[in-house]
Amino acid sequence: MLEFLKLVNAHWRDVLYVLLAGSLVFMALLAAIGKVPVSYNVRNLVVRWKTTIMTALAFTSVVALMTVMMAFVNGLYSLTENSGQPGNVVVLSSGSNDEGFSNLAFDDVRNVERMPGIISDSEGDRMVSKEIFVVGNQQIPVAPGEKPRRRFVQIRGIENPQIAGKVHGLKLQPGGQWFSEAGVEQGQGDAGQNLIQAVMGNGLAAEMGRDLGTSPLAVGDTFSLADRTWKVTGLLDSGGSTFDSEIWAKRQITGEYFGKPASYSSLIVRAADDVAATALAETVKGAKETALNALTEKEYYSNMAETSRTFLYAIVIVALIMGVGGVFGVMNTMFAAISQRSKDIGVLRILGYQRGQILISFLLESLVLALAGGLLGCLLGLVADGWTARSIISGGGGGKFVVLKLVVSREILATGLLLSLFMGALGGFIPAVSAMRLRALESLR
Amino acid sequence: MSDSEPIVRVVGVHKYFTRGAERVDVLQNLSVDVPNGEFLALMGPSGSGKTTLLNLIAGLDTPSEGEVWVGDELISAMSEAQLARWRTRSIGFIFQFYHLLPVLSAYENVELPLLLLPLTTAQRRAQVTTAMELVGLTDRLSHRPGQLSGGQQQRVGIARAIVTDPTLIVADEPTGDLDARSADEILKLLDELQRSLQKTIIMVTHDPKAAERAQRILHLEKGQLVEQTVRQLERA
Amino acid sequence: MLGHLAKFLVIIFKNVRRNLVRSTLTSLGTMVLVLVVTSVWSVLSFIDAQTSEKANDFKVLVTEKNKAPSRLPYAYSSSLREGAARNPGDVRPTDYMTWAFYGGTLDPTKMTRENFIFLIAGEAEKVPTMMDELDQLGPADKERLMAAVEKMKRQRNGCVIGPTQLKTMNKRVGDRIKISGLIFKGIDLEFEIVDTFPDAAQRYAQTSIMNIEYLLAALDEYKVKNKKPHPQGAAPIAFVVLRVNNRQEFERLAEQITASPLYTSPAVRCESQASAISSFLEAYKDIFWGMRWLLAPAVLVTLSLVIANAISISVRERRMEIAVLKVLGFRPGHVMMLVLGEALLIGAASGVFSAGAAYLLINKGAGGIPFPIAWFQRFFIPDQAPLWGLAVGAGTAFVGCIIPAWSARSVRVADVFSKIA
Repeated sequence: MLEFLKLVNAHWRDVLYVLLAGSLVFMALLAAIGKVPVSYNVRNLVVRWKTTIMTALAFTSVVALMTVMMAFVNGLYSLTENSGQPGNVVVLSSGSNDEGFSNLAFDDVRNVERMPGIISDSEGDRMVSKEIFVVGNQQIPVAPGEKPRRRFVQIRGIENPQIAGKVHGLKLQPGGQWFSEAGVEQGQGDAGQNLIQAVMGNGLAAEMGRDLGTSPLAVGDTFSLADRTWKVTGLLDSGGSTFDSEIWAKRQITGEYFGKPASYSSLIVRAADDVAATALAETVKGAKETALNALTEKEYYSNMAETSRTFLYAIVIVALIMGVGGVFGVMNTMFAAISQRSKDIGVLRILGYQRGQILISFLLESLVLALAGGLLGCLLGLVADGWTARSIISGGGGGKFVVLKLVVSREILATGLLLSLFMGALGGFIPAVSAMRLRALESLR
Repeated sequence: MSDSEPIVRVVGVHKYFTRGAERVDVLQNLSVDVPNGEFLALMGPSGSGKTTLLNLIAGLDTPSEGEVWVGDELISAMSEAQLARWRTRSIGFIFQFYHLLPVLSAYENVELPLLLLPLTTAQRRAQVTTAMELVGLTDRLSHRPGQLSGGQQQRVGIARAIVTDPTLIVADEPTGDLDARSADEILKLLDELQRSLQKTIIMVTHDPKAAERAQRILHLEKGQLVEQTVRQLERA
Repeated sequence: MLGHLAKFLVIIFKNVRRNLVRSTLTSLGTMVLVLVVTSVWSVLSFIDAQTSEKANDFKVLVTEKNKAPSRLPYAYSSSLREGAARNPGDVRPTDYMTWAFYGGTLDPTKMTRENFIFLIAGEAEKVPTMMDELDQLGPADKERLMAAVEKMKRQRNGCVIGPTQLKTMNKRVGDRIKISGLIFKGIDLEFEIVDTFPDAAQRYAQTSIMNIEYLLAALDEYKVKNKKPHPQGAAPIAFVVLRVNNRQEFERLAEQITASPLYTSPAVRCESQASAISSFLEAYKDIFWGMRWLLAPAVLVTLSLVIANAISISVRERRMEIAVLKVLGFRPGHVMMLVLGEALLIGAASGVFSAGAAYLLINKGAGGIPFPIAWFQRFFIPDQAPLWGLAVGAGTAFVGCIIPAWSARSVRVADVFSKIA
């Protein structure tokens, strides 16, 4: 049993499609065995169009809602899946599972840096990125009289942006530049100080742009944070990863302003491949002279999927409960349909249709209704594809503020249709049994 | 007539219901033979058991005691599923209220029993067309029952009854819901079918005028056969 | 008039009972959907309450201005509780509490979730007045809480641990626990569990509190022992909560604090508790938006459809008798009343029942809706939920049956009878 569950888990996409295809084949099979033409059911659905529409719309709203909610969770998952680079290892201080809570001493970092197993890229750069990760409070500009608002922004202090970009597999969008070695440039910022140079993710640039009621921040734009003025020198091509909601700036400057002047949060190093990365992580953890935690970047981000799981469970429960409501609705419809058409049933039985064939006919009718409602729900849910939403991904105590794109995947649509068909089958079955049990002669009276 | 093998043999049939402690006898020790190709009318007051008898012969009901044979099959011993299969091939039904499925066209209504038989679409089309030709409704194939007059609906009902080329056609008050002219047309049609196709027809009716079309009339009262009228006249 | 109404009610009741299957299905459908709406609204109303300012219980949060998580020197606390008042006439808070967070594991070799515990460190005597909802406990619970506070004051290593948290750790009141610090590395503390939170303090089922003095003393000890201060020793507290009488006082207080030279490194932010929570929840705003404007409405729409469907089926089936009623002299309004009444009865009764059952089952039976979001673990169905059930049930029934009721109203006697004839 456990083996079976594991298998299902590993191939859930295939399982889903097989289930959906199976359900459709099953419907076709029912139609073939049932012999009562499906057009009979369809036309009856058309004749009593009011109840048909109301019942189908109930399905539609359940499926559409589920689609949107799943698209959200899917967006969360794809963030955590797309954020890790193959071969990357995240080194943190021992006991911490999150950059936000990690404090690495410079000595520790030097020790790890020298470890064999860390590769260099084709240009000979050693793939090591020493970073701090801090969260700042940003005052959001509001119209006079409005309540003050603020947001948390995530700032990654980077030692060497070129290398950090390579290690994280991130490039700048055309027209952008990494911040300079000094990390600041001449200019009149808040309190007359120089401007802090920064690159930032697109998602955050868009959000900050919204504050000002303009288009997303672009290269050359400035913003205020921690009583300083920051200038955007480049935008990260970071769509779909957690970096989309980050600001990157010079480590020394960031550290000074956000209380981490003399330590790192994390060290990201690149091994040849995932296998080597796992081994490297083990080596780091086992190193006697230092007390460190290390894990592959993939693992690091997949640990962050806890929020996604919470939402997934919540959505499954809500969808199921709503589904039950829909089931009661379709039961009403089908019971009424049957009592209205008891004569039809009588005639069919007298003509030689078997009880099972009557059952199939009404079950099919409910399934057709469900399918129609479900398809419409999927269509409606598709509208949400590409919506952006803010959320948090977290796990193991840490978390990241993210902007995600809702992704309505084929799997979600398939799940929606399956849910719909399941509701249809459940809600259609009991009435269909009652139709089957009608006595031919009595129903003609 | 009497020399041909009976197609229906009802032998010593009892039918009763129990209502609480009380037993209600509907048919009592009834035996009837119906020769192949006969047009038989069953008459009698309400509650005389004529419809019950018809239902027993048509395999819609089973006797409490006794046997019902149709052809060489003992239908009184069949299971419900067997009966259903048997009905498809052997029985054509004509109802007082036509009982066409309202959402299906005339054509589809007639085709309905054929769907249970192993026929190709072309074969089905041929049979439906023939049946509709016989009842003279080829110009109403795609009409829904609601778009047809009562007489036309009943003709569709008759087409549905004959489309499988059944051994036996049973009709329960086929003219009961029709005006005099339409009723007459329907009876004429039944008469023609019986003559041209040599179909055995058993018809329950209240209407003496309808019964007149039959070759033989059985009168039932309180579940027993009380009188038999044989009309040889028109036969000749 | 009253007699009339009673007659109507009798007919309505009878109609409900006529097709018992349909009435039951509709009612069950209503119940499950009301359950969803009630749960969703419970979460939202709690969040709303958290993020809206209370007129006469105005709490103010003083946090680090520019960074999160906020860390402040303990020294800030002593002047903040005076509101940084320098001049006569300055606003002084009516109450205060200092908050620090101490977290750790019961077993450093096995850092499982069960072994992890998180404690709020504050002035023990401020717990009953300054922690949300604890000031609303009944007299018996209050007395018990006061006793626990006394114990924590007497022996600094006392702690109060929420009942669910206790169960997770498999500990009991009276047990001693040793925690290896994770938030404060190297600060390992031994506690005695002096009590648990009373059941009435539902929100505190997973919360634990300790005396901040204990933490501060441990930090001092660390300094002596290691001859250097603990890395977080300089800024061990997270924030200070102050209470003022109203918004005006808050605004003046905020000015006093922001203008004060005492708080420059790090600078502080002074905001109402509600707005601080809003900021924290900003990241979840879209999720709450979705719950409020997609989820709940979709459920309401589904519910209306289920009811509308059932009622329109009934109306269609009863056209004949509606026509008869009209022949007997019922006016269109009367007919409409009958249909509306039936829908409202089913909707309202099922709604109240469902929300009431949710209240009992979820709050008492399940210990809240487990929906861990931000730092909230569980949500509770509020007392007014049965009223929501009533409103949702009756409201959706009303919306759902407008069209069928109207079509019942306009049944034309002639049409019905001509079809029969």
